[in-house]
Formats: sequence, C-alpha cells, structure tokens
Amino acid sequence: MSYEKLFENNISSESVKAWKASGKKAIGYVCCHVPTEILIAADIMPVRLRATNCVDSSDAEAWMSSFSCSFARSILQYLMNGTYELDGLVQSDGCMMATRILDNWEHISKKNGKEQFVYQVGAPRITNDTTIAYYKSELQDLADKLGAFSGTKVTDDALKAAIAKTNEIRDLIDQVYDLRREAKVSGTEALNITLAHCDYTVDEYIALLKEFLADAKNRKPIEARARLMIIGSALDNPEYIKVIEEKGGLVVADALCFGAKAFGDKIAVDDADVMGSIAKYYLTRNTCPRSLDNRPAIHKEIVDACKKFDVQGVIYEKMQNCECWGGEAYYLEPDLKAEGIPMLQLEREEHMANAGQLAIRAEAFIEMLDK
Amino acid sequence: MAEIEKVDYWRWTESNWKNPDIPDWHGSLITAGVDIGSTSTQAVILVDGVPYAYSNMRTGSNSPDSAIGAINWAMKDTGLTLEDITYTIGTGYGRVNVPFSNKTVTEITCHAKGANYIYGPTVRTILDMGGQDCKAIHCDEKGTVTSFMMNDKCAAGTGRGMEVIANLLAVRVEEIGEMSFKVDEEPAPVSSTCVIFAKSEATKLMRAGWTKEKVLAAYCHAMALRVVRLLERNGMELDFAITGGIAKNVGVTRRIEKIMGVTALSPKMDTQIAGALGAALLAKEFVEKKKAKG
Repeated sequence: MSYEKLFENNISSESVKAWKASGKKAIGYVCCHVPTEILIAADIMPVRLRATNCVDSSDAEAWMSSFSCSFARSILQYLMNGTYELDGLVQSDGCMMATRILDNWEHISKKNGKEQFVYQVGAPRITNDTTIAYYKSELQDLADKLGAFSGTKVTDDALKAAIAKTNEIRDLIDQVYDLRREAKVSGTEALNITLAHCDYTVDEYIALLKEFLADAKNRKPIEARARLMIIGSALDNPEYIKVIEEKGGLVVADALCFGAKAFGDKIAVDDADVMGSIAKYYLTRNTCPRSLDNRPAIHKEIVDACKKFDVQGVIYEKMQNCECWGGEAYYLEPDLKAEGIPMLQLEREEHMANAGQLAIRAEAFIEMLDK
Repeated sequence: MAEIEKVDYWRWTESNWKNPDIPDWHGSLITAGVDIGSTSTQAVILVDGVPYAYSNMRTGSNSPDSAIGAINWAMKDTGLTLEDITYTIGTGYGRVNVPFSNKTVTEITCHAKGANYIYGPTVRTILDMGGQDCKAIHCDEKGTVTSFMMNDKCAAGTGRGMEVIANLLAVRVEEIGEMSFKVDEEPAPVSSTCVIFAKSEATKLMRAGWTKEKVLAAYCHAMALRVVRLLERNGMELDFAITGGIAKNVGVTRRIEKIMGVTALSPKMDTQIAGALGAALLAKEFVEKKKAKG
C-alpha cells in the first residue's frame, strides 16, 4: 500500500467497500467522544464522518436551517446523497449541532425505508467520578448493542486488543507531530494525514503511517516566514491550511478535533475495569471547550503547545454558529498575549467560498509576524 | 419625448495631484505604490520618501488596466516614466494584478504605514473604511501592524454600501455626510446586517414618508455602529485615525467619534491614498534595506 493515500483530498470509500464486501459492518460516528475502541472490539469498522469538499448542502438545508453549523449540515448532506454508504451512525452529544445530524438522519433513513442502527452516547459536560460512571454505563450499553448488531460480543480482551492498536496510532501520530516541530511536515500534509484516519481501518492506517514516517524523516526542513498554530472549530479541509501556507506561514501545531485532539496521549488500561479506563480517558481528555470545567486546561495546553512548537502566532478559526468555539477567543487571547503570542481570529463556513478573504487575512498576519 | 438624464449619484470625484515643492526629481530615489481596491485605485509616487504625485480613480473591470491608468495619471506632467521608478509595491485586493510591480504587500500593512505618515507617529488605532471591507488596525510608532481585525463577508459598513444608498436616494455620495445631519433628532439605525436589507429598509422608510435626510441619518448611524463594533473588538488605543474613502464622509466619521467618545486626528492629505502611500513608503524601505545589505 502506498502512503500517497494519506494525501487524497476527497473522502475515500475504498476501504469501507472492501470491509463491507467481506460481510462485516461499517458504522459512522461524529465527534471525539465516541470511543472507536468499542466499535473495533465489536468487529465493526469505525468511520469518522466529515464533510471535506462538500460544496452544496441544499438537501440537508431542508432539515437543518442555514443558521445551523455548516459542518454538521454538510455531514447530513453526505449521508443523504450517498457519499457515505454505511450500516449505521453512532453519535455523542459533543455539541448540539452535531446531535441534530443523528436526529435528522434517524428520521430520514426511516422515512426512506432504510432504517439504520443509530445510537446516541451521552457524554457529560463536567468530569468527576459520578459523570465518569454515567459515561461508562452509556459506553457499556453501546458496546452491548453494537455486539448484538455485529454478532461479535465486546469483551475486555477485544477492547484491550483494540486499545493496543489505537495506542500504536497515537504513538505514530506523535512522531508525525515531532516532524512538524522540525518543519519537515507542513500543516496541510499533517491535516491530510490525520483526516485519513477517518477513512481507513486501524491496520491499514498504521501501515500507511509507518511507511510515511520512514520516508519523511529524511526530509529537509521547510522554510517559512512564520511558524503558526491553528486552533478552533472542526476543520476537515486541508485546503484551508494550504491557503495560509501558500502565503508563507507554516502551520506547525494545532488544537483541532480532526488533528492533534483526535489522538492525544495513550490510554492507560486498568485490567480490572477496562470499560472504566476508556470512559475515564475519553471524558478527561480535553478535545474542545464543550465541557463546562475544562477551559483553563485547554488554554494551558494551547499555550504549552505554542512553546513546544516555537509558535509565533495563533490562528483561531471559528465556524459560524459554532457552539463550542463561539466565544473562546475572549478568554484565550489574554493568556496568549501574556506570552507575547498574537492571535488572528477568523470566521468560516464548511464550504471554502471565502479563500480570498482568508488569504488576505493570513498574509497580513504573516507580514505582521515576519518583521 | 425628452430623454431623462441618467445620473450616477455614487460617482465620487477622481483626482490627481503633483507636489509643487519638488521641482526636480532627477538623481533621487523614486518609489511607487499602487493600491487596487474593489472600488478605487490609487497610485502614489515618492521622491526620496516624500510624496511627489498621486492619482485616485475608480477601479475598472480590468485590474492591470486600472493599475496602468492610475500610474500614468500620477506621472502626468512630471516627466517620469515607469523606467524611472526604482521599486513599486502593489497592494489592495488586486495587488497581484499590477503588471509593473516588484513586490506585493497586503493593504493592512500598507494602510498602517500610510496612516503613520499622514497622521504622524502617535497613531495607534486606524480604521480603514474601504470599498468592500473595513479594518481596525493597531500599529506602533513606526506604523508596523501589531494587530488587526476585518469585517466579515458583507459590504454593509463599507463604501460600496454607501454608493448603493446614494443611487437609491438620488443624492451625490459626496453630499451624504452633511445632509445626514439635517434632522431634528437622530433616528434609529437601519439594519446593518446586509446592504440589501438596508436598501430594502431605506425604501420602506421613504414610502413611510421619511425625508432623504432622515433616511441618510439612519443609514450613516447604522454604518457607524457596525464599524464601532469592529473597533471595540480590536480595542481602542489613542491616537485614533480613519483612512479610506468613507473617512471623507462626516456623516459616518462624526457618529463614530460620538459613539466611541474619541476624536479622530485630522488628516493632512487625502485619506483615500493611505494604502498606496504606505506601499510606496515600504518600497523605499525595501530598497534601502537591500542597499544596506549590499
């Protein structure tokens, strides 16, 4: 397998088709609060849904208003127009907009006589022993239902085997980010790489990453006018970062739920409570400001990443109508300012219709940093 | 039947200028800046860093033609040709379409540099109100940008929006500012979300019997509020200055001053040339840096 597949711009259904052709199930999921380990343990291929390159969401607009999040609406569009042909959908209530994908898809698939497996995981917005226990019970219920759906019961051993694989991916992604720090991998490439995780099985993805890393380590550093970090709403379009990098910036770090935040540290397994280990890991991990009690921690992680990756400026991209990242700039900017790191705020929509506006802002920001 | 005269009320006056205090440019460093905006194009020529000539005209449908037209008009009666200009920087949304430029720089960087020259080194906050967008910029004493914020997407709060209203109400765009104060009391602002909405609302108000002056007051008020939000988001640090075409519209600028509780500095030259002037100044700096490096 050639690692060039990591850089395909469009969503690839090749792996899903092959998986389904072998008689197994593939299920879509939205948001980082759906632990893929449970799907893998049920011998189901997890497919993280995204809306990359969606240019028209008019079908979905009949179900979700134009004042909803265009990322969520575009995913619904891809479900409706057959871009994704899967056996079901698992969703966590990561944000209210994403939740509407499940609500609408459940109704639409039923209406079209193609009722699917749908499941909503309740992921609490505060983290303590009580909420972790609740989340664990949600995950256990999901595991039971997935096991019944696929015919493969989710056992502790299967979960541990799945964790071993996802931890290996986390380790490999860490190596990719080390290369970003050395300016050997661009931000555009990095987002392509992390997005490919959505389309391939864990084994395929591990193989692709290993091949890429073996090659990329020998690269020469990329020259740039400014080292940048990008943070904010779900960003699933590498073209967005490409516009910034074409203006002379190098996006060396990110805090995106399709980037670094989709992976994170390894899961530490307690053999006596494997599902509890997963619940604790996923609820404690700071993926986005959806939680009520993790804002200072997320901000600290961003500031720390700026230091680790020698970042000169932060680009904060906010999807219009984004519930999670809507007002974060107000609280984050002083923390960055205290470290002498300027921040550029941008609004965007899923459809890349404003590349020119992005380019002028990015270029001016880079000029400002490249004094 | 007599033909009805068609008047383009949105058309503002084009101009060019030549510095009478510089009789001869020979032997001097000549740099230029060309700012191709969505609505207007300016060319500024400097002689040893001092403004020597400029032109300010409407942008046509072809950006390279606009650039050539602007520089030719600026060079008119100066004896200069393009070959005499050592370095030219293109800026504005059409900056990549200046066929004779040596480099491009964004209008944000250029406006800060230009405002620093026009208003002096005490300027810290610049509001550039252009044809299709507006920008709140912070800069240091050298005119180097320290932060900025631009409006998103809509032409409401920009020169183009003002031109639409000028045509709708059949009032020359240059007269709008003064006219908007001829009201007994300040009316509530019209919608500032979108130019089209504002236009519909203005039509509705005219039908409801409002005078043109009152509608203009409501529109200028709305435009001021819209850009004030941008200024507040980026923060206000004195001294404050306004650049761009709308800086010439007192109906908007005085309302901004009133809402913000600040007084904008008075310009010593045409505020519409700030971008091109900044580009020409940066061109001079670039040549000097290159020379210093050998």
